[in-house]
Amino acid sequence: MAYTLDFGTPVNTALLIYILYSVQKIVFPSTSIPKTVPSEFKHGYSWMPKEHPPTVLFKTYTPKTLEPFNGKNGGRILLAINSIVFDVTAGRNFYGPDGMYGNFAGRDASRGMAKQSFDLDMLTAVDQPLDKLQDLRPDEIENMKGWIEHFSNKYVICGKLVENDAA
Amino acid sequence: MTISDYLVTDDLTVLLGFIGVSVFLLQNLYKPQPLVHPILLGRQSDAGRVRHSGESAVYRNYGTGLMGRFPVRPDKDVDIVTDFVKPDFDAPRTLWSTKITNAQLKARVSAFGSGIAQLVPEDSTVLILLNDCIEFVITDLALSEQSIASITLSSPRLLARVLEMHPPNAIITDNTYLPHVHKATHDAHQHDYELIVVDWLRPDLLDTIKRHAWSRVESWGKVPQTPKNAPQAGSAYTVSFFETPSGEMRCVQLSHENFTSGVTAIKALFPAAINISTLDTIVSSHSLSTPYGRAIAYAALFEGASFATLPSTGVFRDGDAPALDVADILSATKFPIPSPTILFLKPEHVQSLASSVMDRAKKSFFMFPLAWRHKFASLTEGFVTKDSLWDRTVFGKAREDVLGKMADTVKAVVISGGLLPSDTLVSARLALSIPLINTHTHGSAAGPLFATHAFDLQMLPGADEPAHVGAPSVNVEVKLVGVNDNVVEKGADPIGKILVRGPSVGNMLSADGEAGEKNAWVHTGEMARVMTNGAFKVLGSM
Repeated sequence: MAYTLDFGTPVNTALLIYILYSVQKIVFPSTSIPKTVPSEFKHGYSWMPKEHPPTVLFKTYTPKTLEPFNGKNGGRILLAINSIVFDVTAGRNFYGPDGMYGNFAGRDASRGMAKQSFDLDMLTAVDQPLDKLQDLRPDEIENMKGWIEHFSNKYVICGKLVENDAA
Repeated sequence: MTISDYLVTDDLTVLLGFIGVSVFLLQNLYKPQPLVHPILLGRQSDAGRVRHSGESAVYRNYGTGLMGRFPVRPDKDVDIVTDFVKPDFDAPRTLWSTKITNAQLKARVSAFGSGIAQLVPEDSTVLILLNDCIEFVITDLALSEQSIASITLSSPRLLARVLEMHPPNAIITDNTYLPHVHKATHDAHQHDYELIVVDWLRPDLLDTIKRHAWSRVESWGKVPQTPKNAPQAGSAYTVSFFETPSGEMRCVQLSHENFTSGVTAIKALFPAAINISTLDTIVSSHSLSTPYGRAIAYAALFEGASFATLPSTGVFRDGDAPALDVADILSATKFPIPSPTILFLKPEHVQSLASSVMDRAKKSFFMFPLAWRHKFASLTEGFVTKDSLWDRTVFGKAREDVLGKMADTVKAVVISGGLLPSDTLVSARLALSIPLINTHTHGSAAGPLFATHAFDLQMLPGADEPAHVGAPSVNVEVKLVGVNDNVVEKGADPIGKILVRGPSVGNMLSADGEAGEKNAWVHTGEMARVMTNGAFKVLGSM
């Protein structure tokens, strides 16, 4: 067979050009680095995620500033036990407006956790001073501490609760 | 001519078709596989969910996790530093110039310990002013066994201040540094201490202080006495003084647990494919007077590897320090150790090594550009090997010319003790073609604080910044303070001062020698930036 570049057979020419191009890429590989760093590992080995993992800023809340976080507008849901504020947005089923424990959203739930009750009379009004929890029995305090343990493992501690005028 | 006339195929077409298909398959399927999957490099540290105002979240190594416990010992039986010398390991290995088995080493350690216990009272402190040698290791292990506190200095400039503030009961030094010691103690008006000298050869020095030869002290302890108090893992047994870049003196108290955690962290630097074993020879450029240098030596002791240090580690010397370059690395071969396999080097060594190898490789005019191109292309895919075609033709010979026999046996290099420039990293990876582990250490910690993944070959932007140092080490947690909240809330990288905590970080003492609270956050005095993949870039001292 004669290896002439015969333009009468375009199929052969096309194949030949393709082969030459591929061989050139194998023998002289590309050394260009992309100008922008890829944000997916599928797009390149030297990649970086676009964003940092989300972190929540630890804030100081008062009963008044905590109250809006009751999930009613689809926002974050926070709840406080013993002046520790937990972000319970992940438990919207329980603590959202329609949930079983929705009463506690955006409020200080310490007494309710201690007495194992979800009644509204466990909550103090937002313009009142914080519940001092002095009349609780030792076993109720233990129960509340157990709930704090449970919440610490399940949810993120994102703040602390202070009196309305202390913030 | 009709379409079918154009599409005429003949035997040539079939041949070209075969060639085309095979070239296509070759090009697409023969891509080198990255040594570590890039998905792992996108999440190198585990970040806390909450951060306080002005601080970043707390970061830990992804393998350890925020809820995990820090690994504190390399093996379940290793509680105190003398446990690093495993009794059930028989084979001899070479430490500097001495071929010794573990049993012999343990015997020498208890001999010296008993000897020195007769010399100094309980609750005394001993100042060790030795350059790296086997006597240093024996002294250190013996003092720890006897629960006698030892003091080490990372720089001779600290000697005057330390003698003033913490006068020791005994000083151990060597022959060449003895005159300086005499002068310093004379200036500090300190006269009642024991002096133990390694290689005592100068009986002509007149003095009023008691001096003993190191080997004689060891011979006194031939009948070993058991130590009065058995050392505990948590008890501090050594104090290390180091200088910050601004010249300030800082002091850290280290316990047995700090060193066992440090050795665990050093072992964790190496993945299973290249871990330390008895077949290895470790060469270190970090002085034994620093906690990290000592932890490297203990790691070698624990694994039964041979060990030596480079001449540039000598802290106590006359004259200038040798330059940190290839000649320094090659002087490790003067010791009767087997050819080194793992090198713990400083960035200056690596820079010098990489540029020497590249210069030698450039001598082969025709092959070098092609070889460089192929190796660079495989680096961008995350793959590098010492045995490729291009190493056999170009780079292997260059490495052999520069390093000699070491070129064949070195399997990993750990870089610490300074900031490595980013552009050096690429040429070093090309030139050496072995895993380069960039770490960050500090005078207050026995183990590395940050370490990259051994097979990480990413080339990230930021050529004017130093190379990244990876995630926090397996038993360290890190947070940055002094962080700009507004910038971070918008999603930018936190930049701040480094605070570390963990079992390998020692207890910093205040200027008066008061111990701080246990497990407190330690300021390292350096600034760093966290990237989105959890790796840190140390930007330098403040």
